[in-house]
Amino acid sequence: MTTAHEHSHSGDDHAHKAAPMVEEISDYEVLELAVRELCIERGLFTAEDHRRFTEFAESIGPAAGSRLVAKVWTDPAFKKRVLEDGTKACKEIGIDWFEPTGFGTPSDYTHFVALEDTPTLHHVIVCTLCSCYPRPLLGHSPYWYRSTNYRRRLVRWPRQVLAEFGLILPPEVEIRVEDSNQKCRFMVIPMRPEGTKNWTEEQLAKIVTRDCMIGVALPTPGKTEDFHPVHKASRPAESSPPKAAE
Amino acid sequence: MSVTSDVDLSPIALLEAIRHQGKEWDVLAPRYGVTNPDPPWKFPLIGTFESLAASGSLPALERRGAEDELGNSVYSEVPAPERDLLALAHTMLTRGLLTEEELVRRMRAVRSRLEAA
Amino acid sequence: MAKIKADKPNNKPRFKVGDRVRLKDMPNMFYTRTQNYVRGAIGTIAACTYQDLIPEDEAFNYDGRIEQFYIVRFRQKDLWEDYPVENDTLQTETPEHWLESAGK
Repeated sequence: MTTAHEHSHSGDDHAHKAAPMVEEISDYEVLELAVRELCIERGLFTAEDHRRFTEFAESIGPAAGSRLVAKVWTDPAFKKRVLEDGTKACKEIGIDWFEPTGFGTPSDYTHFVALEDTPTLHHVIVCTLCSCYPRPLLGHSPYWYRSTNYRRRLVRWPRQVLAEFGLILPPEVEIRVEDSNQKCRFMVIPMRPEGTKNWTEEQLAKIVTRDCMIGVALPTPGKTEDFHPVHKASRPAESSPPKAAE
Repeated sequence: MSVTSDVDLSPIALLEAIRHQGKEWDVLAPRYGVTNPDPPWKFPLIGTFESLAASGSLPALERRGAEDELGNSVYSEVPAPERDLLALAHTMLTRGLLTEEELVRRMRAVRSRLEAA
Repeated sequence: MAKIKADKPNNKPRFKVGDRVRLKDMPNMFYTRTQNYVRGAIGTIAACTYQDLIPEDEAFNYDGRIEQFYIVRFRQKDLWEDYPVENDTLQTETPEHWLESAGK
């Protein structure tokens, strides 16, 4: 089993730099197109809908979420608006949950709720049923978030799972798991770390990485990337989880 | 916790043939020095997932339940974007939304077209 | 794109923030989004979110029942045997018909 490293860069929109193409046409590329064409011909969906959802998929990334958090940290009135009505407040940073159809996507809907961390409360998000994720703010979910391993274990053993990400919190801090099983979509507003006084919003956004907004990492001055080994072909979740390390 | 689907987990000849070629993106990209972490078909594939859900042809919960089961069994050795694509094709074939025959035919036609371009 | 548009909701929510509620353990006749691990558990209403078609009806594309949805907060110690940390909690969302009052 080989491992691959998964990066996400905060502060950059999803990388669509012109990159050279691979010089062969894989059967995967052919399969995707064949399935799509047959679906359209069979009337399973329209080319127009496909184009619209594909463009949406290409447009999203975690930079929007980072911007939202940086603005919450620096603008108390904005923070109040975010906590009162998350969907509405997103429009102020250029994110419209009603795109691209006028009533959102069939994965994301239009009910965004920001979860504010405090010194005694730490949030972490999951969707045990199918991996719902606040895509308009965070882009596409990482593969580990979609794994049955994460989804089954986070609700049952959150502290073990967080420890595997390198995050260990004392028992006095309440860890609150948010399972987004219906139409609300959630994102964590982590606490602003020490050592960031007088930072600009742009500087702050750079340390709010995707993992911080899921709740498996804390923002740290100097840390602008999520980085952890990703094991392909993960085994299904264990039925007897490791003993709690307390 | 994931939805139990009733997807038939038996391997499908066409999809087994594809996955045994070893042409996943994380093999091809380094071979050609391409640094983009995602294959170009990743976003149109997501477009297909959404479109199938939006039209009601294949709801997300059902598709994801099948994807979980297939990803933990038949396609457990396949990396993520390819696994999701194979799981989609597998689910659509076993549900009768597509037939293997027409998919084979269409793949041939698509490949000819792409190679001629 | 076909979408079932919910009629203008006018249901008075049965519960309010802070109410103690039990998540009923009902048989799944068809499609549901209620997880097994919360069934029978007692929690408190953390938020009233929106009114919408319940997933049990929406999945079949009928004009179904529109209900108030809630975020319910549970103590992890009430969900899992031997959960080791006192303060930890879990929240999940549910439509009203899955809830009943659990008193004070």
